[in-house]
Amino acid sequence: MRKKDLTYWFFLFPALLALAVVVVAPLVVGVYYSFTDWNGIQVKEYVGFKHYIELFHDKEFINSLWFTTKFSIVSIILINTFGLSLALIVTTKLKTNKILRTIFFMPNLIGGLILGFIWQFIFTKAFASFGSIIGSEKLQGWLSTPETGFWGLVILMSWQMSGYIMVIYVSYLEGVSKELVEAAEIDGANVFQRFWYVVFPLVAPAFTVSLFLTLSNTFKLYDQNLSLTGGGPYNSTQMVAMEIFNTAFSQYNMAYAQAKAVIFFIIVAAIALLQVYLNKKREVEM
Amino acid sequence: MCKRFRILNYFFILIMQTLANENLSQRGREKVKNKWRAGLLAMSLGITGILTGCGSNEDSSNEGTSGSKNKQVTIDVFQFKVEFKDQFEKVAKDYENEHKDVKINITTVGGGEDYGAALRSKFASGKEPSIYNIGGPQDVADWQDKLADLSDSGAAGAALEGTLDGVTLDGKVLGVPYNQEGYGFIYNKNIFKKAGIDPTTITDYASLEKAVKELDSKKKELGIQSVFALPGKETWVTGLHLSNTFLAPEFDNNVLTAYDAKKVDFKYGDAFKKILDLQNQYSVQPTVSLDYSKQVEELFSLQKVAIIQQGNWIYGSIAGIDEEFANNGIGILPIPVEGYKEDSIPVGIPMYWGVNNNAEKEVIEASKEFLDWLYTSEKGKETVINDFKFIPAYSGYDASKISDPLSKAVYEYANEGKTIGWTFMGYPTGWGQDELGVQIQKYLSKKASWDEVVNTTKKSWEDNRK
Repeated sequence: MRKKDLTYWFFLFPALLALAVVVVAPLVVGVYYSFTDWNGIQVKEYVGFKHYIELFHDKEFINSLWFTTKFSIVSIILINTFGLSLALIVTTKLKTNKILRTIFFMPNLIGGLILGFIWQFIFTKAFASFGSIIGSEKLQGWLSTPETGFWGLVILMSWQMSGYIMVIYVSYLEGVSKELVEAAEIDGANVFQRFWYVVFPLVAPAFTVSLFLTLSNTFKLYDQNLSLTGGGPYNSTQMVAMEIFNTAFSQYNMAYAQAKAVIFFIIVAAIALLQVYLNKKREVEM
Repeated sequence: MCKRFRILNYFFILIMQTLANENLSQRGREKVKNKWRAGLLAMSLGITGILTGCGSNEDSSNEGTSGSKNKQVTIDVFQFKVEFKDQFEKVAKDYENEHKDVKINITTVGGGEDYGAALRSKFASGKEPSIYNIGGPQDVADWQDKLADLSDSGAAGAALEGTLDGVTLDGKVLGVPYNQEGYGFIYNKNIFKKAGIDPTTITDYASLEKAVKELDSKKKELGIQSVFALPGKETWVTGLHLSNTFLAPEFDNNVLTAYDAKKVDFKYGDAFKKILDLQNQYSVQPTVSLDYSKQVEELFSLQKVAIIQQGNWIYGSIAGIDEEFANNGIGILPIPVEGYKEDSIPVGIPMYWGVNNNAEKEVIEASKEFLDWLYTSEKGKETVINDFKFIPAYSGYDASKISDPLSKAVYEYANEGKTIGWTFMGYPTGWGQDELGVQIQKYLSKKASWDEVVNTTKKSWEDNRK
């Protein structure tokens, strides 16, 4: 490894500067504000851990945290299942491989806000019309109950992110050497065994990446949440990011919101680091 | 400041180059030296670019605002009313033509955007606007250090009685009103006529309920889906507007009383529940996910429902879809408060103009003059009524010129004194929408009883005002 002399730091400097200005500085300032009574305009006094104590008794915050956790678990499982399935489909010898990849990836190119509105239309209008044709009560009034709101969000996210995760799995699947699979086939392994004992361990790094991406994305979700349900009905589908935003910008409890954001940051960072650590342990080196 | 940056940069480049040279030559890698130097130079230039880039921006903005050389004054207006953005910009142009030494920049953030948040970031960025909007007592308390005293301005002098209550602090008037607005039950005249109901007979809760039931029984013949469209998703409709109708009486219709109130009693809570139930029962379902655009554009404008609870601001939306219907087919019915006034509608001031007292003296003066001109000069008055289509909140206007039927109706209610005040600006911050509105959603979903709604929101009001 190269000795870290002055030129090393010099070349690193622009990146470090950018990081410091847009990530580290706001974080430090944010943590500072969470200990004050900052109202978005000025700081009057230092309040210590008051906000942090308060937020553990804040029902709205705890509810939104719980909802986010539920949502994340379900979406992570679904997105990765769909993503891997799609990846397996488009890596087989189909003529339509290329076009299918593009189609599956496309939902990801649409912005979250717009997607939310499109799906809102589908859930409230298309579902209702379809429901009245086939005479199903279950398709009526979507997004007006907490359950349909939850599943609406899960469907939207799975639809959007599966294609993205697929691309990651595809790149790893294509890296699995054909010889290994062939050797396993000659040894008499069936399709399932070939996938489970040969391919699956080899794409483990893809799981590390995909799980991390889905985890951080679903936890921090805001725009889809805002445009699809807006947290309604009665804040039952409000996720943490939105709860924090509302505390800050509709109740103007800036410092309190900042304290929530700090706790949220710690939770997400801890879960993500733990996940990467556990996954890394499982990866196989070739 | 920028010059200093530039000089610093040259030093920086020099030092870095020498350092790099020495480093490399010590190791005797003369051949790669030139490559390194080129790379370093490019990078240094890049950084210089970033820093001087900021510098040149500052230069130009300095010329714009200081302006002592040519006595040009720039007024930066930061306002929220999207609906009249174009007309307002046109008026500003006219004003610039009349007053050559004044330049007006208008920024509009509103509609779906969060004005309060945008204003805060605008101030935080250091480019403070000279004229901006404030909503009521809470805003005044938050911004009082940055609001100039407008007591001596012509606009404040002409403002209608009572309209300045919400923005007066220690005897100083810190804002002047935009306009008046009112809301109530907006109804479809054609449907009422078809059903044979005379809207003038609806003056209390009993007659309203009777009419609603009659409309409901004739739904098929009238070609409507339901009588009402209650937008439970819009917490401002339920938590601010509807609630205000029933809470304003206990605050004497005064926003400051509400702002100072340590508790809320729901004195007319039963009347409140009755109206909410009536709207919910006869509304297009499910009400909890029904939003503004479905209520106003899809259902009411296309004449699929007979009555909606909205205000005069929806005239533009309806006219955009069906101008004929907007001009001749709509009117406002009162929202009856049983035990109080049953024939009145809430009328109030939605927003005020404030002037930033951190601005330079000339800018403050010019800003005041502009607001005075807008609301008290002949030309200004004409624009306010004809182009902005405002219901004036100032004396000295010819009200017969108000062109849209909803504004006219609101003005008539106001003239006859059949009004209830707007006090929701005096609710604790976020209480109306995030507490009451959300609790009402819970009630509409049958996940909470009315008593629970009342008790929860009472408690959070008290917690907020401790």
